[in-house]
Amino acid sequence: MEYDIIEKVTELSLSGLRLDAKLERAARLLLDAVPFEQCVFYILDPEKNVFEKKAFAGEEITLVESYGGDQGLPGLVKKKKAAIEVYKKDPASTVWEGVDDAGLKGYKSALVCPLRDKERFFGVIYLKSARKAEVSKMKMRALGIMALQASSFIKCADMAESHERIHRELREIEERLASSEKLMALGDMAATLAHEIRNPLISIGGFAGRLKKHLGPGSPGIPYVEQVLKEVGRLEKLMNGVTSFVKDSAVNLRPDDLNGIVEEVLQLFEDEFAAHGIQVKKAFSEVSIGVEVDREQLKIAFDNLIVNAIQSMEHGGVLRLSTSLEGGMAAVSIADSGGGIEPRNLGYIFNPFFTTKTHGTGLGLPITNSIILRHKGTIEVENKPGVGVTFRVILPYLRQFRSAG
Amino acid sequence: MKKRILVVDDEEGLRLLYKEELEDEGWDVELAASGEESLEKLEGDAIDLVLLDIKMPGMDGVEVLRRVKERWKDLPVILCTAYPHYKHEFGTWASDAYVIKSSDLTELKQTIKDILGKRQ
Ligand SMILES: Nc1ncnc2c1ncn2[C@@H]1O[C@H](COP(=O)(O)OP(=O)(O)O)[C@@H](O)[C@H]1O
Ligand SMILES: [Mg+2]
Repeated sequence: MEYDIIEKVTELSLSGLRLDAKLERAARLLLDAVPFEQCVFYILDPEKNVFEKKAFAGEEITLVESYGGDQGLPGLVKKKKAAIEVYKKDPASTVWEGVDDAGLKGYKSALVCPLRDKERFFGVIYLKSARKAEVSKMKMRALGIMALQASSFIKCADMAESHERIHRELREIEERLASSEKLMALGDMAATLAHEIRNPLISIGGFAGRLKKHLGPGSPGIPYVEQVLKEVGRLEKLMNGVTSFVKDSAVNLRPDDLNGIVEEVLQLFEDEFAAHGIQVKKAFSEVSIGVEVDREQLKIAFDNLIVNAIQSMEHGGVLRLSTSLEGGMAAVSIADSGGGIEPRNLGYIFNPFFTTKTHGTGLGLPITNSIILRHKGTIEVENKPGVGVTFRVILPYLRQFRSAG
Repeated sequence: MKKRILVVDDEEGLRLLYKEELEDEGWDVELAASGEESLEKLEGDAIDLVLLDIKMPGMDGVEVLRRVKERWKDLPVILCTAYPHYKHEFGTWASDAYVIKSSDLTELKQTIKDILGKRQ
């Protein structure tokens, strides 16, 4: 009969059932084979250090939902790494050999077996009886094998889960990469195109200007020419944005101090901050933060973020800038109080030409993004609708950097 | 005597535009369609200022700038280009001024006036 249960549990392990269903069946099979009335599987969450009840069978006289990682009999088994057999005369007591375990209330005997393999401890099987339970050597051996099999269920389920997680994460990264590559390719194409369009455009606009001069004031042709000039001006502005992608601008990396770069960009905007009543609050890291960057390009990236922040706070607000070292990365955060981004637009803001502004180009963020990507960095957006946006730029930290000053 | 400007650009339309507009401003204008041609013109004619496109096939504007400054240290050169951010890179370390190409020539004309006016 011992072989019987081993066989059944083996069949169970090959079934396609979910982990808790498998364990519940196993618990029922166990109760058939050994003289106990309750069987519980507690699984240890190693991060929280807590045993959680995963499955159980039998009666429900006292059923503890969870134990602290070092609490009660499960805690003791975890420490001793071996099964414990408990017998106490007084069913009302919850203490056995100095160990207090609320789950013992109402029971005289208990058997707690570890669920483990060579490397890991997964949890325990907890069997209880209101009578004195006699377990033969043979049954103990069978129980040990069962516990091993149950451990393998748990391990498989664990592996399947992390496999799935890794797969999902990989897919996400792949998607992000693909879309940023697409973006860069698109940007390069746009830059080439812009370059080709630019000179003819200047020609059109320039000669329209000359035509205007020749027509002289009051000529009925003037409004037409002016329309041409206006449209050319608009296109030129767009071209200026597109060429910033600059096709052949491989980044020219040099060691630099992040604080210095941000400070320099900020200075360019002093007049604008004053004009719009924007209060600037700086929280720079006290020590210089070494980064390996193309200073001019990085300045363009911060420039775009600050311009957007200013545009969101035309009638005043607070701009918070901070730099820091976080988890081995250099970080700059730019937070405005300009009311944030409408949630339905959030997914589009990095797309070229997406803009909600009448005279926007929709190129600020894609350019910034492509510059940061070329530096192997990332941009994160934290949007608080009605409050403001925080853009965080994370760049690889250059540890060996020594500031010149 | 009228001051003479050498315009160096590979686009015919732009050469014509610059010529007419700058002549309207009262300058004499010479044209060159390439970096190589511009150096030849500089050898021959008396030029007071060079207006130089950066992006040209063959010898580009940066190379022309280098050679001009080697031979005629005091000859003012204005660089023109499409890329707003080159401005930081070349800055004024070698050229006397830098303008972003645009159909609106106001900035360019003012820059020329500032430079040639000073040398009157
Ligand atoms: N700080 C910000 N606050 C609110 N909205 C923003 C902010 N930054 C970007 N956006 C939104 O993202 C859009 C795209 O920005 P961007 O690519 O810089 O182009 P543009 O500024 O020309 O519109 C903006 O039109 C705006 O809707
Ligand atoms: Mg913008």
